[in-house]
Amino acid sequence: MNCADIARLAPLYITGELEPARAAEFDAHLKTCPACMLELERQSRLDSRLREEILAEETNVFWVDRRVRELISVEAEGQSLPELSRNHRRWQAALLAIAAAAILAIGGYRALHTHVARVYADAAQDHRTEIVEGQPRRWLTDPAQIAALAAKQGIDSTSLVSLESGPYRLVRGKICFIDHRVFLHLVYSDGSQNFSVFLHQRYASPLPGNVREISNGKPLCASNLDHEHVASFETERLIVLVVTDQSFDAALHFAHFASAVL
Amino acid sequence: MARRITRDASLAEDIVQETLLHAWRAFDQFERGTNARAWLFRILFNVFYGRGRKLRAGPILVTLNDKGVETSKSAQILFSLIDAAALTQAFDQLSEEHRTVLLLGVVEGFTCREMAEILSVPIGTVMSRISRARQALRERLEPAALTPGIVRPGARCAEREAS
Repeated sequence: MNCADIARLAPLYITGELEPARAAEFDAHLKTCPACMLELERQSRLDSRLREEILAEETNVFWVDRRVRELISVEAEGQSLPELSRNHRRWQAALLAIAAAAILAIGGYRALHTHVARVYADAAQDHRTEIVEGQPRRWLTDPAQIAALAAKQGIDSTSLVSLESGPYRLVRGKICFIDHRVFLHLVYSDGSQNFSVFLHQRYASPLPGNVREISNGKPLCASNLDHEHVASFETERLIVLVVTDQSFDAALHFAHFASAVL
Repeated sequence: MARRITRDASLAEDIVQETLLHAWRAFDQFERGTNARAWLFRILFNVFYGRGRKLRAGPILVTLNDKGVETSKSAQILFSLIDAAALTQAFDQLSEEHRTVLLLGVVEGFTCREMAEILSVPIGTVMSRISRARQALRERLEPAALTPGIVRPGARCAEREAS
C-alpha cells in the first residue's frame, strides 16, 4: 500500500469500513510513513473540532415540531372513516416514525413524553444530552463569566452562590431553550453527582404540574421521566428546575436544599 | 443539519417539516429493521434537492480548484487553536456538496456506505467527495490560522509527495 492508496482509502479507514486485511496494511504503512500519519492526525483533529462546533449550536425546533403535528392531524382528519380505519395501522406506525424523526431532530423526551409538561420534558432532555451523554456544548466554567451570563438573564449572581453553600459546587453554565424560553442552565456537583439547575425570571403563569409538597414555604412540583427526575418550585423572583439522572429522592433532596437558600 | 446545509433558517424549517410529512405519508415504504436515521436523511435530501430543482435561483457555489488544494497541503495548521467563528465561517463557505458530506460523515457519524445510500451516489464518489471536502475546509482555514501566527508563513512539512 502506498501513500496514494492511503489518501484514497482514508475515509473508509476513519469510519472503520476497511476490511481487516486492508486495515492492517493501512496501519503498517502509517507506522513507516510519518507524512501520512501527520496527515491523518490533522484530519482527525479538524474533524473533532468541526463536530464539537456544529453540535454545540443550539437549535430550537419547537415551531417545526408543532406545525408538523398540526399538519398530520389535519391530514388524518381529512380522510373518510373507512380510509382512516384502513389506515389505522399505518397511522400508528407513522406516529412511531414521527417520534423517531423527533428524536433525530430534537431528542426523545419532547416527543415521547407528551403527557409531561413541555418545560419539564425539555429540561430533562437537556440534562440527558448535555450532562449524561456529554454532547459538546459551549459551557462557561469561569464563575465570573457565568455570573455575567446570569446577569444578562436578569438573575442575580447571589442566587448562583447560594446554591454552593451546601456540598455542591457550580462547575459550569450556559444558556439554553426550555419551553421556548431562554433559561440559564447551571451544573452543580458534589464530586460524585451532577445536578442541572435551570433558572428563569418568574413569569406570569405558574409552573404546570401537581404540587407534591410545600418545601420551605414554596410549593414543590415533581415529575418522573424514564431516566431523569425533575423537581421544580418558584421563588418570588425565580423559576427553578432541578434535574438529575440519579434518583427521584436525589432530585427532591437538592430541591429541598435549593428552596431553603433561594 | 438542514440549517447548515441550506444556510437559511427559514428554508431549513420548511425542509424539515416537509421531510417529516413525507416520512409520515411514506411510512409503508420503510423496511422494518433497517436504518431509520438513514431513511429519514434520504428523504430530507430528496426534499432538499427537489426544492433546489424547483427554485433554481440560488447562488451557484464554486468549489476550490486544484491549485488551491495544493497550496493548503503545505500548511502546518494546528486546527485546535482556530476559533469557533473562523471554523464555522470556513465551513459555511464550502460548496453544498462538501458541507453535506462533512455533516453526514463527520457530524452525524454515518459511514461512507450509509452516505452513499442517503445521497444515492456510488461509494467511491462519497470517498473522493469527503476527502476533497476536508481538504477544502483546511484550505479555507489557512488564512485564519496564519493571522494569529498559528501557521508559519511559507512553512512546509514533509508532504506525502516527498515520501
